[in-house]
Amino acid sequence: MFWRILGQLFSASRGRLAVALLALASGAAVTTALINLNLDAVRKVSGEFRTLGANVIVGPHANGSAESELINESVLLKLAPALESAHGVAAPYLYSVVTVDAGADQQSKKAQVIVAGSWLDRASQLSPWWKITGRPISDRNDMENCLVGRNVALQLGIQPGSRIVLNYADSAGNRTASLTVAGVIDSGAQEDNQIIANLPVVQKFSGLKDRIGMVQMIIPGTPPEIESAISQLSATVPALEVRAVPQIAQAEASLLPRIRGLIFFMVALILVLTTLCVFASMAALAMERRRDVGLMKAIGGSISRIVRIFFTEAAALGLAGALIGYVAGIFLSRWIGQRAFHVAISARPEVLPIVVALMVIVSLAGALPLRLLGRVRPAEILRGE
Amino acid sequence: MFLRIITESFTRTPRRKFLTGAALALGMAVATATLTVALNVGDRLAAEFRSLGANLLVTPKADTLPLEVGGVDYRPVNAGAYLPVDDLPKLKQIFWRNNIKGFTPFLDVPVATSVLSGASVGAPASETTLIGTWVNHRVELGSGETFDTGVLSTNPWWKIENGGRWFREAGDECVVGATLASRNNIHVGDLVGVATLADMEDLRVTGILSTGGAEDNAIVVPLAVAQKFAGQPGKFRRLMVSAVVKPDDAFGRSDPKKLSGADYERWYCSAYIGSISLQIEQALPGVEARAVRQVAEGEGKILGRISVLLWIVTLAALIAAGLAVGSTAATSVLERQKEVGLMKALGASNSLVGAFFLGEQLLLALFGGGLGYAIGVLLARWLSITVFGVSSPARMIMLPVTLGLAVIVAIAGSIFPLRRASRFDPAPILRGE
Repeated sequence: MFWRILGQLFSASRGRLAVALLALASGAAVTTALINLNLDAVRKVSGEFRTLGANVIVGPHANGSAESELINESVLLKLAPALESAHGVAAPYLYSVVTVDAGADQQSKKAQVIVAGSWLDRASQLSPWWKITGRPISDRNDMENCLVGRNVALQLGIQPGSRIVLNYADSAGNRTASLTVAGVIDSGAQEDNQIIANLPVVQKFSGLKDRIGMVQMIIPGTPPEIESAISQLSATVPALEVRAVPQIAQAEASLLPRIRGLIFFMVALILVLTTLCVFASMAALAMERRRDVGLMKAIGGSISRIVRIFFTEAAALGLAGALIGYVAGIFLSRWIGQRAFHVAISARPEVLPIVVALMVIVSLAGALPLRLLGRVRPAEILRGE
Repeated sequence: MFLRIITESFTRTPRRKFLTGAALALGMAVATATLTVALNVGDRLAAEFRSLGANLLVTPKADTLPLEVGGVDYRPVNAGAYLPVDDLPKLKQIFWRNNIKGFTPFLDVPVATSVLSGASVGAPASETTLIGTWVNHRVELGSGETFDTGVLSTNPWWKIENGGRWFREAGDECVVGATLASRNNIHVGDLVGVATLADMEDLRVTGILSTGGAEDNAIVVPLAVAQKFAGQPGKFRRLMVSAVVKPDDAFGRSDPKKLSGADYERWYCSAYIGSISLQIEQALPGVEARAVRQVAEGEGKILGRISVLLWIVTLAALIAAGLAVGSTAATSVLERQKEVGLMKALGASNSLVGAFFLGEQLLLALFGGGLGYAIGVLLARWLSITVFGVSSPARMIMLPVTLGLAVIVAIAGSIFPLRRASRFDPAPILRGE
């Protein structure tokens, strides 16, 4: 009997129910998308901070002696597993000073320049802000080409395609390396005054075989994840110091909570509004049931039983709306993620129970005024007062 | 008559009107708050991004190549060009002077140091670099105004380790980089001898500096001390400027030389990093000002992403507010079909009934929207104080926007049910069918 009445109720007023279901489902969709967004915002925004470049560097300990300022290249192999598990990118750096000879013809220009040796396939990933005129170098074993800073290029009249000769002199004699300039870097920082070549080139002419000065890394993730990656990395190379780059780490630490707070408050405001909206339309639906309640009471139904029917109806609506809305919300959060971050925001299963509970509670709360009808005499309702 | 009906309707059913008005106020409050925050957040976040430090580098235009690694210049003092400190107050006279949050001159001098007192007296002298700079220097801007600037604003991540303090500009004091200090066993209170071929001086160590960069291997001193060692009084080599900028877009990146008159004017008067560097180059003779691309690009990208995100959220808030208001308006009209029937039975035309209901909605929208604006401004201020610690200015432009929005949404929400009601025959409605 109970279920039959319920079935009748659903089929008799399909139009109204469809409207209520639409309100519930869109409310649930917005809720799902925004909760997903809020849960993922910190991760996504801290991902954006990686465009600021290296956030972790590995170098010799501060209390070591000056002789141990260079480290052995083999640390890169030791760091590799921990780096891979943290999904990081790393590149070694070795600096040296050379006399550069540009233009082999009569108007040859010379200058003292810092040369940085690195992995050029990785270095440009670590410095995504480099504007390279010419072409980047994407092979770390390329011994023929180099990149040249903007100021170096201006002073020495170097263009992409020029040949330059690096002269290095120390007690063991003179060594030279002859390189082709692949591209010119504009960075607005130290790279503008440097020449950047692959690590083996610099190691060879400066006689520092297997040596590097430091390793720069981008470790993705939220600040606590970066912290734990740093401690794992230090565990693999106890002789070296692994530390966060303070400029980046502090800016991130001061900005992330603000951005998170901002998103959280905006999302909370919308959720309150959406909930009220759904509540209002459920309450309107319930009020339209007044006459049904009056009729049932007039033909002898007990108020608790009548109210149970309508509560079940409201709960079923809430459940159905939440399920439809959850699925729609997954697509909505994907869309938001694509628009804002060019990466989809992952849907979280733990959002489903939250949304279902919220929608069922809201629709039951909307139906609550029906209980008050228990006090009303059926004749009054039927008369339409 | 028309006004009397409306007044009657408000006084006779105040509770129902209150509910509709409350929904309007709430929706508009959320719309005002989110819009205000979205409009202000760009400026606020751009200011917060200054925790990344300087985003402009100013160097002499005709200079030899700096031997620079990690921000420290290892050139000998007799190579390259210098710039006069006396020109710096001009930075606070450019068009975007209020966006210049700080600037710091640097002068690096290679020196030999030895420890003269403390635990490790007698250790051999070592080669290092003296970095002369300002910590929190008071710049006279003329006309009695002053501006405090230095590494505290351009390099906020530079930290003096516990137990120390920054040097005083007047005294013969210095701070020592953390790596240098721990390698040479230098402590706060020690006396360090610094010498070049031209000069030598004893400096008292007042703190140990930790920056995570090449400065950890150097000695940082007041600019005047470095100028003396370099034999270049009143000069510096490199200036870091921290300016609040608008994220670059295609227009911001355009070459000023190729812009037409009006476009140039617009570009020059926008706080793009390009226009600020141009203004700096115009203010200081013989300099080249360039964006530090790491900071400028990164900041632009992050700000861009966050503002897209906030606008999506704001849009969602506006839609939710619109739905809330529209559906309440629709319900309030639907509930009164009987009244419509009665009015029509008494001979009112459809347009009069429509005008009556719309007038009522308009009044509600103005009250609810005005109230919502006030609540929204408070909400935005509270949000701004909670998140940024600074209250956001209320924008007066938001009041007409909010009211207009409230009116449009309320009327749009009631037009559909009104049209339906106008098609009804009055008799069945009055019979209650």
